Amino acid sequence: MPSPSDSFSVDAACAWFGVDRALCARVLAAALDRGGDYADLYFQHRRACSIHLEDGLISHASTSVDRGVGIRVVRGDQTGYAYSEDLELEPILHAAKTAAAIAAGNRAVEPPGFGLRLSPDLYPIAEGWDQIELSRKLPLLSRIEGLAHARESAIVKVSVGWADADERVLVATSTGELRADRRPMSRIGLTLTAKRGDEVQSGGSNIAGRRGLDWYDAGRLDELVRDAVDRTMILFEAVRPPAGEMPVVLAAGASGILLHEAIGHGMEADFNRKGVSIYARMLGERVAAECVTVVDSALHPYERGALNFDDEASEVERTVLVDGGILRSYLHDRISARHYGVASTGSGRRESFRHVPMPRMRCTYMENGPHAREEIIASVSRGILAETFSNGQVQIGAGDFTFYIKNGWLIEGGRLTAPIKDVNIIGNGPQALRDVTMVANDLKLDTGGWTCGKDGQSVPVSQGMPTALVSKLTVGGRHA
Amino acid sequence: MRENELLARAREAVELAQRCGASDAVASLGAGRSLEFQWRDERLEKVQENASQGLGLALYVDGRFSTHSTNDLDPRRLASFVAEAVELTRLLAPDPFRVIPDPKLYAGRPGDLLDLVDPSAVDLPRERCLEWCRLLEARARAHAEVVSATSGVMSGTSLSARVSSNGFEGTRESTGVWYGAEVTARDGEHRRPEAARWVGATHLADLERVEDVGAEALRRVLARRGATKAPTQRTHLIVDREAAPGLLGRVLGALGASAVQQKRSFLAERAGERIASPLLSITDHPLLPKLAGSRHFDGEGISARVLPIVERGVLRHFYVDTYYGRKLGWEPTTASPSNLVVELGPKSREELLRDVGEGLYVTSWLGGNANTTTGDYSFGLQGHAVRHGEIQEPISEMNVTGNFLDLLQRLVAVGNDPEKWSSFRAPTLVFEGIDFSGS
Repeated sequence: MPSPSDSFSVDAACAWFGVDRALCARVLAAALDRGGDYADLYFQHRRACSIHLEDGLISHASTSVDRGVGIRVVRGDQTGYAYSEDLELEPILHAAKTAAAIAAGNRAVEPPGFGLRLSPDLYPIAEGWDQIELSRKLPLLSRIEGLAHARESAIVKVSVGWADADERVLVATSTGELRADRRPMSRIGLTLTAKRGDEVQSGGSNIAGRRGLDWYDAGRLDELVRDAVDRTMILFEAVRPPAGEMPVVLAAGASGILLHEAIGHGMEADFNRKGVSIYARMLGERVAAECVTVVDSALHPYERGALNFDDEASEVERTVLVDGGILRSYLHDRISARHYGVASTGSGRRESFRHVPMPRMRCTYMENGPHAREEIIASVSRGILAETFSNGQVQIGAGDFTFYIKNGWLIEGGRLTAPIKDVNIIGNGPQALRDVTMVANDLKLDTGGWTCGKDGQSVPVSQGMPTALVSKLTVGGRHA
Repeated sequence: MRENELLARAREAVELAQRCGASDAVASLGAGRSLEFQWRDERLEKVQENASQGLGLALYVDGRFSTHSTNDLDPRRLASFVAEAVELTRLLAPDPFRVIPDPKLYAGRPGDLLDLVDPSAVDLPRERCLEWCRLLEARARAHAEVVSATSGVMSGTSLSARVSSNGFEGTRESTGVWYGAEVTARDGEHRRPEAARWVGATHLADLERVEDVGAEALRRVLARRGATKAPTQRTHLIVDREAAPGLLGRVLGALGASAVQQKRSFLAERAGERIASPLLSITDHPLLPKLAGSRHFDGEGISARVLPIVERGVLRHFYVDTYYGRKLGWEPTTASPSNLVVELGPKSREELLRDVGEGLYVTSWLGGNANTTTGDYSFGLQGHAVRHGEIQEPISEMNVTGNFLDLLQRLVAVGNDPEKWSSFRAPTLVFEGIDFSGS
């Protein structure tokens, strides 16, 4: 339920950044005095900590502080952008003048007044990361190392990486929004190397979210270690699948990477506004079977893609991209929403105050379908089951996308017969969507720490999937 | 900030760390600024001005180690940031291998003229940048089937200073200018293939003409139309000079001392062995004038020297930093690559294609990955079929899969055509008997 976030109010944010409403209003007026239509200020302060365990020792930690304010001026589809790392008035005004020059006119602008906006509170945590001392984090890393060695004696190297960040943002817009947010983020990654005879294999797992320290309880750490050990040890039995086209069953969870690459990026409205997406003229058309509903939502609590409001101070929502097989909505930021004459979907995101916002995914997943997992696997006479992934990529216009499988299974005669490893899958987005023929009822959001890159900007995202069958994709593999 | 000011502030940061209790410290101060213009469909789309500065700090405290960075250089806040950082370090485990680099490695710093600064690449007049944007985009859009074209011009300068408590001081300054265009064209009802051409160098005069860069982006996108999936097959792999660094770079990823020490390198036990065809030689060359990777010292202050990595197929050196070098009992070489230079063969791409007759010519990779522990790789790709010694129809939606130890032995020809100003100077490469998956 929406409620004013008391953990980091606008007043607290103003005090934190050493600014006030009058300063924000004055800078916004200066940003628009050459004739821009819209301007916003994005104050950001990020403190991060990372810790590394290797060879039984926690002997390296890092901390960082990064802060500044980004000033954007928009005129139609055009953008002027500058930022200041110094939060005093003069350098901020200088940056505002630089950004203002995207427009060439001259006019007096009334400073905006700011109203109160209510935000959801999707990632409340008991203690902010910058209050938690290093000494409380260290035992978690040692515990994970001990669990890994205890679980499997063939493991010769254990590497544990910890990362947490406490980020504060304050966004002020010329349309009168003034909103503050405190965004936690944390991640534990475990990498293992195991040896059997002369053969060496490495694998791993990671868990992440806008989570506090209490999330990393004994059960969670056990599960992380179990996944990492299992994924590593099975590689000793794993083979490359046969090369070529075949049915691919996507396991519940991280397989949402398929949606991210095959349709998510193509639905970001900036690509469509420019006409360069393969989905540019398909709204309202059937693109998949009725069992396929694809969603991108900011509203899942504690997910990496969760946001109380987006990086342009717009309301966030659950956006249905594909509804029962029909292409429904693009992902909009302010510029594209204005271009299309619709409301923003709250998808305007940016890597930091040094970057312009653009339409981005948040948490992308497919809704449940009517089938059972076993039923789907049983339907495949010769194909693969894809379980864990490292990375993916897409060409927006041609529609070709790829993702790389770290672990999976060969399916022969409707049964899982042998583990597989290290193969790339390639397909074409609209074709792959049409080829989704079965969807199970076991939707799972993945808890891994996914990061999405676009135009040189990285943002945290989440993804999820029920077990599903794509009847044909091209699998990299060995030749007979 | 100018060079002397950066050096002075780096010295102050080292002294501050030592006053707070660090036995040794290394400070790096960096400052950069750049200006970028983006142009789309006949008008200006975006102007962005960047100006950043920051401090990086490595602390050695009672046999313990940590690293820190901040862009908040306010003296009072910086003092408390460093004091907290030193206290945090005391909570970590002591590690006998975490020591500041041996000052002997700072000695013999080369005096070669690197020529990394071009005053004409800094503060390019706005009108000139806009004119280039317009020309780039006009050339890139000059075809009826083009849906959209975007061009960009970016220029900037960066300056850094590094000071250590055991006697290292050094600075590096470089300029850069980049421009290019991206084009999307119609291809059937919905497909809209895209292609781009970008060039960048430390010196403006070294770049191709903007008209040619824009025209090349258009040529590439038109060549992508009508792409189809070729059959699953075993044939020659011809890797374009722009795709070659992506492939060889994955192999180099297994040459870091950390990968070796953590037993995650398929090349760990192979120093002095033949890991590739005798046609392959790769040198790490930090002293080539005007190349963006050139430097007098590396990230640890180790004096730069030319380092053979692979010599006629034989693995010669790893990338060894102080920490993992001590763990392995190996002498440090350098922590990270500078410029990489592949020894050239005698023939042009066209001659190589004629020699090969048939195969798949890869112009760019699409996703994929490699496993540095085992050497297994699998990449998505796009390019063209090659028949009768010539480039034929475009291909897409295919993968190439195998193991690097096998792939590198299958190198049968090396071209003579690297991009002049790339810091990874690789030419066209030809491999035989490679497995592709397609239709």
